Amino acid sequence: MTSTEHETEEVQAWQYEPAADRNRPLVELLQGFPREPHLWMYVLRTTAALVIRSWFKLYHRFEIRNKERLPIGKSFILIANHQSHLDTPCLVSTIPLRNIHRAFPAAAADYFFKDLPTSAFSSIVVNGLPFKRQARGAESLILCRELLKNEGNILIIFPEGTRTADGTPGVFKPGIGLLCAGTDIPIVPCYLEGAFKALPKGARFPRPSKLVLHVGEPRSYEDASPSKESFKHIASDLEEAVFNLRPKS
Amino acid sequence: MIPESWSLQEMVDPVLGLYALLAVGLLVVSGLVLLGTHVAGKNVSSIWQTYRGWLIMAPLFLVTLWLGRVPTIVGLGLLSMLGFREFARATGLHRHWWYTVAVYVSIVSLCVLELMTDPRTGLAGWYGMFMAAPVYVIALLLTIPVLRNRAEGQLQLVSLSIVGFIYMGWMFGHLAFLANSTSAFGYLLYLFFAVELNDVAAFTFGKLFGRRKLRSNVSPNKTLEGCLGALAVSMVLPWLLHFSFPHFGWVELLLSGIIVGVGGQLGDLTISAIKRDLGVKDMGTLIPGHGGILDRLDSLIFTAPFFFHMVRWFHDLY
Repeated sequence: MTSTEHETEEVQAWQYEPAADRNRPLVELLQGFPREPHLWMYVLRTTAALVIRSWFKLYHRFEIRNKERLPIGKSFILIANHQSHLDTPCLVSTIPLRNIHRAFPAAAADYFFKDLPTSAFSSIVVNGLPFKRQARGAESLILCRELLKNEGNILIIFPEGTRTADGTPGVFKPGIGLLCAGTDIPIVPCYLEGAFKALPKGARFPRPSKLVLHVGEPRSYEDASPSKESFKHIASDLEEAVFNLRPKS
Repeated sequence: MIPESWSLQEMVDPVLGLYALLAVGLLVVSGLVLLGTHVAGKNVSSIWQTYRGWLIMAPLFLVTLWLGRVPTIVGLGLLSMLGFREFARATGLHRHWWYTVAVYVSIVSLCVLELMTDPRTGLAGWYGMFMAAPVYVIALLLTIPVLRNRAEGQLQLVSLSIVGFIYMGWMFGHLAFLANSTSAFGYLLYLFFAVELNDVAAFTFGKLFGRRKLRSNVSPNKTLEGCLGALAVSMVLPWLLHFSFPHFGWVELLLSGIIVGVGGQLGDLTISAIKRDLGVKDMGTLIPGHGGILDRLDSLIFTAPFFFHMVRWFHDLY
């Protein structure tokens, strides 16, 4: 009997993509990035976000000005001044609940991902991107660039790199330039008012002072060349954009 | 209030008590054998890990059964969901939450059907709806691409979800449904005991006499000798454990042996085929020395439904 095409046993293989964090211990699963989608994490994160949002609303009378400027649905970078641990949850609170699993605040790996409890908090509640600011900053910035190629991902970054110690604004680091030079990804500058008063560096418990987030116009640096000079230029340009949003008093 | 006097029999069902004694006896004997082999200078570290797994799993299962019908059904339901989670993560289905949530909800619904009372007969467990459940679940899963207005690649996701639900949810769910039976202890304990012993027998006979490969493209380590040895053990076991189901005649005892002897091996081989296709060694790492939940439950999934329907054919559940 001659074999015809219909009798062949060859079957086209399906495309399986097993979870990359299979067979990993819990702490590595939490520290790894990009994270696999875990349904239980989504549930916990959404619950935590609801609690945080109501707490901000009631305790800090949190207010967002010009929220409509956020290009929700597209990929973008959200940047702001960094005064306190309240900054990140404030910025995440601007994003609709169903998008928060794709909003990644860059979090210092040496601080927010150092052991199991902090990693659990930073990955489940914050959805943080472990940023290696000391050893491999450039590598982490490349990871961020890759992340933004997926439509709808949001990156939250504080270009000052650390919280201000005394309330005076810090200098924006040129790394932010590396992220956005030559791309059309919009960067949204924001200014958060009141966070230093509410929870300064070193304070244990937040005071009930009012928080206001001023959202600026999105901008991008498509024509910027990938040089150190232009990175510095972008950083100072964004620094100006952020602090210009500060209300004049 | 503490009763003035109580006997052990009032606290523990005699069948459950006998199995508990049996489990303790077997664990002690095999522990001593392992210790002896270790003292003799052989490396037993991998078997030791498997043994330690049993030391935890056996009491956990016995205590859950002892706690009653509801904890047993809920516990098996949780196991079912964890098993599906493993399956989803191994196939990549876990990235598509529409499908995974639909399957999780379906598994929870099965648990509810097992727990509730049949509205027509007033008996524990809504048998008719439980058996009809796949119709509704498959219809639901097939509707998801329509609801989302997406077509490309959806057939693979629908198919994986259906396999995941039927296999981990529905077929395994038969085991939980058995908890509604008046002879629940006997049936459940016999199944667990016989299936696991069948596994151990296949492993032991294979190690001792194994020559001919059983299915070289599916599971290279399984041998014909191991399989036949396990079948022989499984055929004898129902007679030795007759106290679990005193109402069984010789036909039922024979069928119980065949179901466990054949189904146990087939269950192992089917999950091996799936793992081979996926290119993974174990389905998970939840139980050290045993692999994932699916690696442990594969044989039970393949025996529980057949045993269930055999019992129902001859004696009904109640």
